[in-house]
Amino acid sequence: MSAAENHARKSWVLLHVGNRRFALPAESVMELAPPVRLHNFPHTSRLIAGVIVRRGRIVPVYDVSPVLCGRESSVHRFYLIAERAFGKASEASAIPVNGECELATSEMLPRHENAPSYFAGTLAIENENIDVLDLQELVSAESRSPSAASHAEPRP
Amino acid sequence: MKIATQDSVKARRSRSTEAVILFCIGTQTFAIAADAVQEIRSTDSLATAAVEMELAEVPKVRHLVERSHRTYYVVSGCAHFGLRVTRPTLVLILRQIRTAVLVDSIERMADVSKVHALPQAFQGEERQWYRGLIYLEDRVIPVIKPDGFLTSEEFARLDRAAQSIESRQELEGAVQA
Repeated sequence: MSAAENHARKSWVLLHVGNRRFALPAESVMELAPPVRLHNFPHTSRLIAGVIVRRGRIVPVYDVSPVLCGRESSVHRFYLIAERAFGKASEASAIPVNGECELATSEMLPRHENAPSYFAGTLAIENENIDVLDLQELVSAESRSPSAASHAEPRP
Repeated sequence: MKIATQDSVKARRSRSTEAVILFCIGTQTFAIAADAVQEIRSTDSLATAAVEMELAEVPKVRHLVERSHRTYYVVSGCAHFGLRVTRPTLVLILRQIRTAVLVDSIERMADVSKVHALPQAFQGEERQWYRGLIYLEDRVIPVIKPDGFLTSEEFARLDRAAQSIESRQELEGAVQA
């Protein structure tokens, strides 16, 4: 493989949400955190399940399972912490994941025509098409949803 | 070598920490800066002084109380935070803001050294509710913004409603006399 081809092949973190695998660009992933305590308090922000504390920082947890899999995922064993951009700044954001994450190198293919906008593309790995998540778009699109929760009761 | 006096040690400590009151509404614990609270009273002790008011636009306020010639609007903590309705037993009367808040109990006071900013991910009403978050004894507790209970628009509506209650009471008093 030439140096140019090698450059085009990026590194991805493959993660399990529900029973599906997704990918995130490896450079956006900060760490895979153990199942630490999820803290809740009243709020009205959609998708946010609570916060966790990692290395002295308070990290919001986005429960993306209902969006990606259509239902709550009952098995959350780890938290994948990735950076989410807010203008010029970025913030550590956690996604509950089940199963162990893997690192893979692959070239991203364009997303399917009808795929949601929060999929940036797909990876063809081990005879499986794995959707690449655009975390920013995923959580922003859901926040813009007109059916956004209006109650503040914290999630159990 | 200089030896720090007790006063300077105390002053340094007070600069680096902040006293907060931890209180509960339902199963939730909140914190508020101790110097933002003027008085804590039981609901029973204020019952006779409370005037009922019902304003459809501000349903979280059902009473007003007069304290030191000022009108305080009593906000239901449950309604404000969208929590299940409980039976509050205490009222936090805030300092400088004409708001009193119904809460279930006071947990304790604590000194905190750092208030973390509310993560940007939180984009809802909570940005008005909370000043930030504290991490205390393995718990993340939101720190209340004292001026986040009622907006200036809500105050204006409540003031108009309070004025009409006062006028009605004066009229009733005049008729009885």
